[in-house]
Amino acid sequence: MKRIALLLAGALLLTACAAAQPRDTRVTLEFFQFKPEAVETFDKIIKDFEAAHPRVDVVQNHSPTAESAIRARLVKDDIPDVIALNGNSVFGELASAGVFYDFARAPIAADVSPSIQRILDDLGTHRPGERNGLPFASNGNGVIYNKDLFARHGLSPPTRWSEVVAAARRLGAAGVTPFYATLADAWTTLPAFNALAGNVPAPGFFARRTAGKTTFAAEYPQVAAKLRELFGYGQRDRFSRTYEDGNQAFAQGKAAMYLQGSFALPAIATYEPDFEIGTFALPATENPADTRLVSGVDVALTLPREPEHPEESMAFLAYLLRPEVMTAYAREQRAVPPVENPPSDDPALAGLMPYFAAGRLTGYADHHIPLTIPLDQLLQQFLIDGDQAALLRDLDREWDKVAARRS
Amino acid sequence: MRTYYWMVIPALALFLIFHTVPVLQGFYYSLTDSPGYGSYDFVGLKNYASLFADDRILDAYLFTFKFAVVATVATNALALAIALGLNARIHFRTALRGVFFIPNVLAILIIGYVFNYLFANSLPAIAQAAGIEALSTNILADPDLAWLGIVAVAVWQAAAFNIIIYLAGLQTISDDVREAATIDGAGSWRQFVSIVFPLIAPFFTINMVLSLKNFLQVFDHIVALTNGGPGTATTSVSLLIYSGGLEGGEYAYQTANAIIYFLVIVAVSVFQMRVLQRREMSA
Repeated sequence: MKRIALLLAGALLLTACAAAQPRDTRVTLEFFQFKPEAVETFDKIIKDFEAAHPRVDVVQNHSPTAESAIRARLVKDDIPDVIALNGNSVFGELASAGVFYDFARAPIAADVSPSIQRILDDLGTHRPGERNGLPFASNGNGVIYNKDLFARHGLSPPTRWSEVVAAARRLGAAGVTPFYATLADAWTTLPAFNALAGNVPAPGFFARRTAGKTTFAAEYPQVAAKLRELFGYGQRDRFSRTYEDGNQAFAQGKAAMYLQGSFALPAIATYEPDFEIGTFALPATENPADTRLVSGVDVALTLPREPEHPEESMAFLAYLLRPEVMTAYAREQRAVPPVENPPSDDPALAGLMPYFAAGRLTGYADHHIPLTIPLDQLLQQFLIDGDQAALLRDLDREWDKVAARRS
Repeated sequence: MRTYYWMVIPALALFLIFHTVPVLQGFYYSLTDSPGYGSYDFVGLKNYASLFADDRILDAYLFTFKFAVVATVATNALALAIALGLNARIHFRTALRGVFFIPNVLAILIIGYVFNYLFANSLPAIAQAAGIEALSTNILADPDLAWLGIVAVAVWQAAAFNIIIYLAGLQTISDDVREAATIDGAGSWRQFVSIVFPLIAPFFTINMVLSLKNFLQVFDHIVALTNGGPGTATTSVSLLIYSGGLEGGEYAYQTANAIIYFLVIVAVSVFQMRVLQRREMSA
């Protein structure tokens, strides 16, 4: 009985395939990507790919709220053919739910640096040993600074926490806003938080927290205090400015430093700053050798668990992952190719490249915190009211609640 | 008799397919640990048990009820006052009625973003020029004041629709009743209290019930103005269901929250109808 049913299903499937895809017809792939600023770059890549594959049409689909959009599509079982998403905790949750392809069976990206691939795999996979996404571009999460203002006030990029504080004070005393802060958008607290959380607490904090061996209250007071001090050097209306305001204001030279990752560089560039932009890793301690750069997978590529057009989707993915395509993308989008010893001649990224070359990288701490904990909003609240004990208590309590719900 | 059933059945079918079935589906998912896609397991009533121990849910309920009650009272007071004005013999009456209805045809999100800009830039600039310290910063960035900004936008937008209902009500009052009252020597306040308000009581009931129900589901205003912030100060229940369920990956847990909230709103609406209708009859 079962065999007949299988046979029947197989026959149906065959006829369905034959009906849906007669030979010599074009295949249309939907390429879903999350970066509004990279639409044109991807259009160029798609054009080149289509020229080499006349049978395949690639349609780019981008959404400003891509993570909600992709979830809604998943709920409807309507999954795009090729997907590009930020390598963050949403990616990890989707991968863990088993909706993405397992590339461990079909390795197509041999050139990717293993340490960067590990950052992506660590976000979560469906089953241990699976590989549910491939890195396409990396980012560096440091401090963006205005080289002209630094030179005018005799400053060089700080390498110790005390030098950060001294630079901010000197700029402030000279009437220059040290940091442009955009706290109306709660998420803009995260780049600075990640730089501090990735460097101040001892490594392995989240594993210990999960095992119940430590708490935020025990290990995060310094992170909170330093975060508050940094944003204290922001401009007066810091709580009512948004990310877009910040990109524009920084490009207009209204502040010396901007606590954002390299992903903000293309957005700043659209306002055509008339000064040179530099970057440095935020030093969180007094020992320069300890400073590690927070880096993540800015763009991760993946396919649905069961691709509708496996051959064509894989061909497009392989094309995207060609070293020359990744490098060209990285140059236009001010990103770092996820390969060993990444080449980059971008002067704005020069301050971060030594960390990539030496492998002094650490992942985003916030990717270890379940998404349902409103980390960014708790940090925003803390920066408004300055109640450090409440922040740490809320983090611990939310963590325990989520752990209890999911056990 | 048959024919009447055929008139009713299509509507009933649409209601069942697009309302009742999704609700039942939601209830099914609320008994699982599904993130909305992929594989999931049954967890029984665990989500419901966790809900009652979650202080974020409680905070969202408190905020939403505070907001809804204040906005409902303010909207109806404002709408009734404007409707009385628009029902009086004034110049440009028809044009003014049109003007006051405009906020209702604008999308809340668009209004929200416009007001967001006004609160962030225009209002502080005006307040600084006028020397009003309390308003010289963006009130949406202040956890204690942000909800008032949302109330202001919500009332401004919602009053339009309530004005129309009150106007319709006021036009059902025939002139002879008022004339009789005037001849008996009743002033305009006395007329309002003893004649006009009791006669439009059914309209008051429907406005109160609909306003409260709509404000309890407040979502668009908050997305456009504060997105639940600063911190979590203006997170309404609907926003929490959306952000926790769709952005936070706890679809099943927030679906359980939605089921409970549905029951709460039904209970509140029924209670309100009972009380207000009884008042209508005694009046």
